[in-house]
Amino acid sequence: MLNRLWIVASIALALIFAAVSVRADEPYQLGPDSQRQDGVPQGKVTQSKFVSEKAYPGVEHDMWIYVPAQYDGTKPACVMIFQDGGGYVSEKGHSRVPIVFDNLIHKGEMPVTIGIFLNPGVLPAVIPGAKPRRNRSFEYDAMTGLYAQFLIDEVLPSVSKEYKLTDNPEDRALCGISSGGICAFTAAWERPDYFRKVLSYVGSFTNIRGGNNYPSLIRKTEAKPIRVFLQDGEHDLDNLHGHWPLSAQQMNAALLHMGYDVKFEFGVGGHNGKQGGAILPDALRWLWRDYKKE
Amino acid sequence: MNRIVCFVTLLVACAPALAQDMPLSQILIPGENWELVGEGYKFAEGPAADKDGNVYFTDVPESKIYRVDQETGKVTVFASDTARTNGLMFGPDGLLYGCRMQDQKVVAYGPDGKVAKTIAEGVNANDLVVASDGGVYFSDPNGNKVWYVDPHGAKRVVAHGFVPNGLILWPDGGTLVATDSNAPHLWVFRVEVDGSLKYPSPWYGPVRIDAPATRPGSDGMTVDKDGRVYVATHVGLQVFDTQGRPSGTILKPQDAFLSNATFGGKGFTHLYVTCSDKIFRRRMKVEGVPFFTSAEKAQGKAK
Repeated sequence: MLNRLWIVASIALALIFAAVSVRADEPYQLGPDSQRQDGVPQGKVTQSKFVSEKAYPGVEHDMWIYVPAQYDGTKPACVMIFQDGGGYVSEKGHSRVPIVFDNLIHKGEMPVTIGIFLNPGVLPAVIPGAKPRRNRSFEYDAMTGLYAQFLIDEVLPSVSKEYKLTDNPEDRALCGISSGGICAFTAAWERPDYFRKVLSYVGSFTNIRGGNNYPSLIRKTEAKPIRVFLQDGEHDLDNLHGHWPLSAQQMNAALLHMGYDVKFEFGVGGHNGKQGGAILPDALRWLWRDYKKE
Repeated sequence: MNRIVCFVTLLVACAPALAQDMPLSQILIPGENWELVGEGYKFAEGPAADKDGNVYFTDVPESKIYRVDQETGKVTVFASDTARTNGLMFGPDGLLYGCRMQDQKVVAYGPDGKVAKTIAEGVNANDLVVASDGGVYFSDPNGNKVWYVDPHGAKRVVAHGFVPNGLILWPDGGTLVATDSNAPHLWVFRVEVDGSLKYPSPWYGPVRIDAPATRPGSDGMTVDKDGRVYVATHVGLQVFDTQGRPSGTILKPQDAFLSNATFGGKGFTHLYVTCSDKIFRRRMKVEGVPFFTSAEKAQGKAK
């Protein structure tokens, strides 16, 4: 009986891994910038819960804040906001952002940057036994400025109470994976007066809630001052919402056509953070490449 | 045993990370299409199934409620002189609740087709849904309001500011969904313990609108056991997944006004739609749920 359960559990697990499309043959490894290095000062990560009052009333978000060791409060820090932040802030996750930030800030390859990591919101139910309202798609996939408004009116002012953050839109970056990727782009697209750097891993520029329209919108809208780093892989999703590898290429082509400052890394992976995590240090160096010149 | 506990924990931990896509291929059976159940009505509306899967619907202008037998498929008159009863829904007490437009009442019909209870008077009710505790929500599109009548019979406005039409509850009873005839989304509300609706959000969307229409025409709704929401619109029966994302559109059975939908038949294996002068059904891969009884179970479990 025990053996049978073991087999069933193993098969179920294999199916789950197949479903999230982690391909064993993906050649992406985390490099030295994603490992702890001797002599590099470590920033601090604190966890809290952020309850929205305006954009998503009552909706709770897990939030982590990373403050680099080099931040001393004398100068405003740059800021980078990660969607599905729990996956990014984990030192065992696909990207290990606190470690990468520690290393790159130490080497002067990116500015002193405070990281804000937000998980998508959940509205708990109160009727006994009822399911909560999971707000991820509503927040991330919607083609509106509501999420940007949430960040601008609620999250940033709250974090600013404790830390001195930049006022310069060039120094505010957004990052996310899958629907979090399109979310990062949408927030900058809607509010380039606030956010001008975007990093997307396997972004869902597909028809979940109309995101497939971006390539044509970009081509017929006066260019906005946004710098965009896109990552996708040839084995990314092909489902009812669209074809991720094709939509990523369409996004890149549209951004290039309109003269955006864009970089596209198209690999061989699936719908996961493996390649994105592996190239995160390079992506950050590219996004912040001219910071010193300012 | 530890190994198994470990694996189960891992499975549970992995589950929320999945995309949980719900394409139409999960619910439509290849080769199956709409089949005619009944015809010759002036305006069919309000399909609702009892716990055994018998489907009731109304011909609004004719003031008649019909019953489709789940075994024989035969359509018979269940009630006459219904004062233009529109939206219908069963309650946990087994009564058929209906919105009588002509005499401005919400009532519950007994098994004999006679009015067994009057729930509210002096109201402009269009559609309704009954919670597992017997509380009744009904829409008032002209007044831009959603009303609630608690199990003791006291009525109050619980939502306003849009043009509500169809109402449905998630199978667990914790969230109420309301259509908005004018807007490309469906509203959701958290159901409070006292029946109030809190935290409105235009959460389901976008609802598809095909030109030359400028409004979605969102009308009646139903839910399946997995939590999908089906909404009757001008372009067809639009399906939304449990994250509020469009799964796709099921085509209308005929080029006419699609008003409402319900799961019914034995085991709730068929989807029924009212479309102008006719009522149709089709066999589905997924079953519906008599949600007032399942919500009761969910609540019982939690206690």
